[in-house]
Amino acid sequence: MTIDITMPRLSDTMEKGTVIKWHVGPGDEVTAGDVIADIETDKATMEMQSFDDGILSSIVVDEGVSVDIGTVLAVLAEEGEEVAATPASAGSEPIAAATEPPATDEPHRITPVARRLAEQYGVDVATLRGSGPSGRVIKRDVLAAAKTTDEVRAAVPPSAQRESPPEVTPTPVPVPAASIPATRVDPAPQALAHNDRRAPVTSMRQTIARRLVESKQEIPHYQVSMVFAMDAMMAMRQQLNVELADQGVKLSVNDLLVRACAVAMHRNPLMNASWDEDAIVYHGDVNIGIAVALPEDRGGGLVVPVIHAANTKSLRVISAEARVLSEKARTRGLSIEEMEGATFTISNLGMFGVDAFTAIINPPNSAILAVGASIQKPVVREGELAVGWEMNATLSNDHRVVDGATAARYLATLKELIEHPAAILV
Amino acid sequence: MREISFRDALREAMTDEMRRDERVFLIGEEVAEYDGAYKVSKGMLAQFGPKRVIDTPISESGFAGLGIGAAMMGLRPIVEFMSWSFSLVAADPILNNAPKMLYMSGGQFGCPIVFRGNDGAGGQLGSTHSWCVESLYANVPGLKIIIPSTPYSAKGLLTQAIQDDDPVFCLESERMLALTGDVPEESYTIPIGSADIVRPGSDCTIVSFGRPVHFCLEAAEALAKEGIDCEVIDGRSIKPLDIETFSASVRKTNYCVVVDQSWAFASVGSEVAAELHRLCFDDLDNHVHRVHSDEVPAPYAQNLEQEMLPNARKICEAVRSATYNA
Repeated sequence: MTIDITMPRLSDTMEKGTVIKWHVGPGDEVTAGDVIADIETDKATMEMQSFDDGILSSIVVDEGVSVDIGTVLAVLAEEGEEVAATPASAGSEPIAAATEPPATDEPHRITPVARRLAEQYGVDVATLRGSGPSGRVIKRDVLAAAKTTDEVRAAVPPSAQRESPPEVTPTPVPVPAASIPATRVDPAPQALAHNDRRAPVTSMRQTIARRLVESKQEIPHYQVSMVFAMDAMMAMRQQLNVELADQGVKLSVNDLLVRACAVAMHRNPLMNASWDEDAIVYHGDVNIGIAVALPEDRGGGLVVPVIHAANTKSLRVISAEARVLSEKARTRGLSIEEMEGATFTISNLGMFGVDAFTAIINPPNSAILAVGASIQKPVVREGELAVGWEMNATLSNDHRVVDGATAARYLATLKELIEHPAAILV
Repeated sequence: MREISFRDALREAMTDEMRRDERVFLIGEEVAEYDGAYKVSKGMLAQFGPKRVIDTPISESGFAGLGIGAAMMGLRPIVEFMSWSFSLVAADPILNNAPKMLYMSGGQFGCPIVFRGNDGAGGQLGSTHSWCVESLYANVPGLKIIIPSTPYSAKGLLTQAIQDDDPVFCLESERMLALTGDVPEESYTIPIGSADIVRPGSDCTIVSFGRPVHFCLEAAEALAKEGIDCEVIDGRSIKPLDIETFSASVRKTNYCVVVDQSWAFASVGSEVAAELHRLCFDDLDNHVHRVHSDEVPAPYAQNLEQEMLPNARKICEAVRSATYNA
């Protein structure tokens, strides 16, 4: 008996998933619980574990290919079983050709005419699953994909328009459904210059695009900025890091800000809220999301791990959690739980030397704090010119939930906490 | 237009040319007194007399060489082989002399000669009498090969061949001699090296030569019922090849099956496929598929012979495979 490994449902809203990376290859021994692949959902990149023991017989879905939940991704052969060349499901359904194992270690196969037509119709062949032998992308795959975007035809060069319009070869034989780009990201593809390239959009990038367009279009944003004297906080951080170094504690400015924001939130509960059409939901816990940029080799993008109930957690706990979460986000990917439930978000570009910027609210939050760098500069302290540390932070707010005065009071509280940081220690 | 048989069309081409040009004569085994082993030359002895319609002993090497000598000296011989299988014993004159004469004599002697006869399996004639010589002979520079599949092209091509200044091999088929079709009464020629699209279609190009063209049409009808609209091209000439017509079709359909009754290795089919891969590389959605005779000597048993040759079933399978409908 072979065992089909199928695309799991990793979140409630998930419909499709993308294999980002296979950790095993054909012939590898797999034990139940082994992480065999990284799967990208609409929300996160997650590890997929095997539920069974066996030898990986074949990989059916290549890295980078997006498929529906339940699609066979790979086939596991049980101990002692002949390692089959084809997945168990092949031939058992009309889309057999689509489940034919694309050769995993081989370059993307495409026929000459399919490549030419893809260029003409602006079809990104990397998004197609070939229905030909060994996953070869053939003419009908390209034409089927081209047909899904009528607008494409408008972009076809005149020479191509003289040819027949993209129609699937009119054969009654079931035509395997070519995988179709999940969204019409660019319905009229731009003509590519010689050294341009079109990169298919990852599902994370699609999620970022969709949510931030929604946010920017639906939420009435406004910004409130304030400059914070950072001398006291910098001094406290240095003191704590020296004294607690032997306990492995290494607080970052961001850790202190998470704690300060959480405490300020607790003192200004009107800020810790979400718009819900006919009501405003005021949250009990203060869950602080931290925007984390992902390395390019994991596809780039950003995720927002969440420190839950940060108002009840000590600096030491917040620091440890933040370190674990951001490390995990950058390397293995976060679980859905680790990214859910934020009530407020901090986006810090200070480490890049940015002194001030504004951020787009991360729905369903009502506010996001855009934090710049702490900079040593000439300042006026008690009527005297001095050298001091300052940091700019800009709060973006949802005016449906938070009015200007509320936001201003929140920043004033934050300023009080940052400039007299002993208060966040307890 | 009137319908006549393939053999009558061949005869009309010869008699028209013999009336038009007194240098033309027919020579071969039983072409005169017996009216031809396959009755192609029926009545020609009576019409043109024994000086122009000449019976020979069973001596292909001899009468082929005689013809070549006559051609070098200015006549226009038509040499009939009862079967192209028998031409093998005349390989030296027909391959080593006729096609090279113009070159080897520095242009002093041309060789305007036609060799014609039955090619391919005649139906249970056994392996030694069932030769398809096209792939063997097409390899030689200096000669032309025509291979008509209809009475119309038989008359037009053979007329052109007799008028041609180079040696032309005309490959006929015993199995097609009784085939009838529309043929004009007046004389006409079909240029050597011009193919004919005998069935227009959009989904897959099928290129063939000679008798298998009919199997291709049969296959195309069956495939049409499956929704695969094939374009069938009758090559009509093997040398030179009308590769432009083939490639224009393949640029349209993106798929091609070549049906060649010779064996696959180093064959007309492999030449067509290689040329199409060169000319249509960016237009192909699959490699050119080929249907040939199986690589065995022609069997005697009828069922095995049918199975060995290209047939409609094999062609259908190849088209389905080529178009990813297998």
